[in-house]
Amino acid sequence: MKNFNVRKIVRGNVSGEAVVLPGSFSFLGDVDMNTSEIISADSPEKGNFIKDKILIYKDTKGSSGGMVVLMTMAKKGIAPKAIATVKPVDYNLAEGAILTKVPFVCEPDGDILNEIKTGDFVYFNSDEGIISVD
Amino acid sequence: MKLTGEEKEMLGGKEGPVVAEAIDYLVQFGEAFGAEKLIDIVYCHYPAEMGIYEGMVEEAVGYSNTGVRVKVPTTSSTLCSDLEKPEITDIPKPLAELQAKIEPAHRRMGILETYTCTPQLLGFIPPFGSYNALVESSAIIYYNSVLGARTNRGGMFTRFSAVTGKYPLMGYLLDENRKGTHLFKVKLPTEMLENYDVWCALGFHIGNIVGSDVPVIDVPIKHVKQEWLLGLGATLATAGSVTLFHIPGVTPEARTIEEAFHGDVPKDYYEVTEKEINVIYKKLTTIENGAEIDFVNLGCPHYNLEQIRYVADKLDGKRVADGVRCWICTNRMTRKQAEYSGFVEKIERAGAKVIADTCPVESHMRISTCKDFGLKTPNVDAMVCNSGKMLRYVGDLIGCKTALTNIDKCIESAITGRFEL
Repeated sequence: MKNFNVRKIVRGNVSGEAVVLPGSFSFLGDVDMNTSEIISADSPEKGNFIKDKILIYKDTKGSSGGMVVLMTMAKKGIAPKAIATVKPVDYNLAEGAILTKVPFVCEPDGDILNEIKTGDFVYFNSDEGIISVD
Repeated sequence: MKLTGEEKEMLGGKEGPVVAEAIDYLVQFGEAFGAEKLIDIVYCHYPAEMGIYEGMVEEAVGYSNTGVRVKVPTTSSTLCSDLEKPEITDIPKPLAELQAKIEPAHRRMGILETYTCTPQLLGFIPPFGSYNALVESSAIIYYNSVLGARTNRGGMFTRFSAVTGKYPLMGYLLDENRKGTHLFKVKLPTEMLENYDVWCALGFHIGNIVGSDVPVIDVPIKHVKQEWLLGLGATLATAGSVTLFHIPGVTPEARTIEEAFHGDVPKDYYEVTEKEINVIYKKLTTIENGAEIDFVNLGCPHYNLEQIRYVADKLDGKRVADGVRCWICTNRMTRKQAEYSGFVEKIERAGAKVIADTCPVESHMRISTCKDFGLKTPNVDAMVCNSGKMLRYVGDLIGCKTALTNIDKCIESAITGRFEL
């Protein structure tokens, strides 16, 4: 099992299947807020769904409406189970994660984008600040 | 976090449970990021509480019914409907009626009904160095970079700042986070830089590279216009999540390159030539040369009076092709003045429309909303536009083909009904 220490933003202890995006992600424009399907033409995970997944990506980008999309998805019960970003946290998305109680971490001490693959089962413990993968 | 007596009283409920909850969220937020204290803000730009997001208007109306009021001057961001003339965008009537409920709610709270992404064009210009809380990524980057008024990338917590007048001292409010990280030397012909759309392409390219960092952009001209900085900022915050940029000799925190980096060495150095800019045009242009188009959009971010005057003069005596929708988007105050000045009449006589409060990507034309209301998708087949931000979002959210070009070609496309390179 590989462990990564992370910076805790929103607490929680969950586990589930990972969706890993190597680049930046915008909640506005890159995901269908009615279905949770990744719709960005540029994304290698286009067609995959982020509902109930551990969403892992490099950096948050795009409009400040992004957090509203996350809130809308949470209301519909189709938000990701947890979010981890490599880069320091985006304040806008952090607000969304706090309000929706989606566990949120950033700045891992290892290369999560390569050592965790889409479909891997991930233990996401932001109470302790540790992400683990089998 | 260290709180003042006044803040402790708010937290203790002296001003009621809504204010107590708001300051509690701000304290939690600040503690998550290691902020030492809350500070007093002088201005707020309030979240767009849009009808296209399920339950959002109802929740906002509920919030206003608590009787809570804003404590600082507070403007409001874009909606999904033109509230004065809802029929102008062909929005489904139930959605327009739902969206209209936001206006009395905002009035009750003391929020100004500006409904725009560019409150700076209405004169909401807080002092250099002041602390503020804003939503709208294109406004946030403009306030930070061009005005030197400090704000982070706000979202719904802007509501909590509006009703308390507070924000945690962190992020871009602090000097140490405002220094440049990457240096970009722009080596474009100066005549190219006379075009708004080129500044959009420039922002797109740099945003792709820096993500959430602070680019320092060295440009070969000094006469940089306000609208160019708007286009540049909007796309930096679209391709990346850039909150602050510096242009040495132009923006206020960077009289020189050295000052932009606070004396440090850039992490990276890049030159930007026509080659990199052409890649962005190619990426944002999926409409084939000579193909038919059905939408031309101008006014992303929302246009000012001069930009509307320019379009009105160009369209005067001309006629938009059958089957083409041509929108010029602005705020309602500027539209009132444009009506008074005769610009709206010229534009409408040509078959184009001046739209207030909204824009294509915030409207009912998104695929998800069209599906909710049983409308045809995609609502637009091919959009020509001079804004990189608009085109990046409509491609995926409305599902249309796109073309990025200059304003004169946009207007020409509206008249001919075709896109010519």
